[in-house]
Amino acid sequence: MRRQVTVTVADSHAGDLADVVARLALAGLEVEQVLTAVGVITGSVEESQLAEIAALPGVAAVEEQTRFQLPPPDAEVQ
Amino acid sequence: MESGEQDSQQEAQTTGRSVVVFADDARGDTAAITAALRSLAGAETDTISFRNLGVAVVAVDPAALTAAIATDGAPSGSIRAVEPERIMHAIAVEEPAAAARFADDDAFTWGLRATGVDATSATGCAIRVAILDTGLDAEHPDFAGRAITARSFVSRPTADDGQGHGTHCTGTACGPADPPQGRRYAIASQAEIFAGKVLDDSGAGTDASILAGIDWAITNGCHVISMSLGANVRTVSAVYETVGRRALAAGTLIVAAAGNNARRADGVLGFVGMPANSPSIMAVGAVDADLAVADFSAASNPVEGGRIDIAGPGVDVYSAWPLPRRTNTISGTSMATPHVAGIAALLSQQTGARAQALWDALVEGAQALDLPASDVGAGLVRAPD
Repeated sequence: MRRQVTVTVADSHAGDLADVVARLALAGLEVEQVLTAVGVITGSVEESQLAEIAALPGVAAVEEQTRFQLPPPDAEVQ
Repeated sequence: MESGEQDSQQEAQTTGRSVVVFADDARGDTAAITAALRSLAGAETDTISFRNLGVAVVAVDPAALTAAIATDGAPSGSIRAVEPERIMHAIAVEEPAAAARFADDDAFTWGLRATGVDATSATGCAIRVAILDTGLDAEHPDFAGRAITARSFVSRPTADDGQGHGTHCTGTACGPADPPQGRRYAIASQAEIFAGKVLDDSGAGTDASILAGIDWAITNGCHVISMSLGANVRTVSAVYETVGRRALAAGTLIVAAAGNNARRADGVLGFVGMPANSPSIMAVGAVDADLAVADFSAASNPVEGGRIDIAGPGVDVYSAWPLPRRTNTISGTSMATPHVAGIAALLSQQTGARAQALWDALVEGAQALDLPASDVGAGLVRAPD
């Protein structure tokens, strides 16, 4: 099963994401966004590959994406 | 001493009697104290002894008593000090904040009155504020002529707000000082608006869209990012904590809604959710027009960073809404958050403070409330003069 994930790049690699992106792609991450100002890569990966990409050099954390949902606009509390 | 006035003021606040403080050795030694007092003031003099304290009040002028000690010498070893007895007054107690009742009036919303925005000279001019939400109704007359940069990070091609929440939050933080209709509801009326649509028109979004919005705001040099969004997740997310820290390092302060998962009337205090529970992101709780914590406003969460940092007006908040409705009055920590973001822009303009220094300025400037810090943090956000 594919998982939508965020990859937090370690401070040590935050200045140059290209190497980390390449390693993630090789390990099976389908890269969707490379966010250079915050040092984050988003994409999707097979669940079975999660542990492998989390262990790659330059990767500080891999987390499954959270879904955010506002209440409907006519709700009393927003 | 420079002025005799101060002297006479001090005299006026004393009784003419003396307070005698006995040495620690003599304290509790009734015989020694009695002997000392008799030898100094005479057996007939009115005295009140507080033996447990080692203090007595003697109906003799302090100057005369001091002179007697100097002359007699004998009991002075048992006496540590002679002071004039003073008249104390109860410290005047101002009406507690809880008695403050605010209400919308013709000129301002209650929230602007309560936070001092009604009296500030700051406008947020040249400060860039990003509101990451459902977008902005750019056709709204209240935003005519404003510097607006908008971008969509969801599947919709434009940042137009088909929901309303984003327009409402943008209105509070950065709307006009003098709207063409109705009372003023907006704070940083001359800030540059960066409207990032990170939630679609159904109000849904993902980390991917929100993080892309933060990245865009930082790249554009935004000083403040306002995020009236969250998920009911207790644990701190590594990505938001890291991103909040990198934002601060880049000069950007992120404020986020604490969450609406409390039901205080039912005894449910809730907890600060993600991403506001990140230590590097300022968590905003909500108070009502009586400056009581809102029923829905989440309390601090025991994880590191899970505390409420500050509170803002978040109940019955009037602000802009997409046409044709034009305005709407709604509640939530979502509404409290842009109050803090807008005031952050005012402070940033006025003091030059950025990032952590701006965070500190918000906390230091907050009005203390008679409420637990776990509910309102440093208190109610306060605009500079």
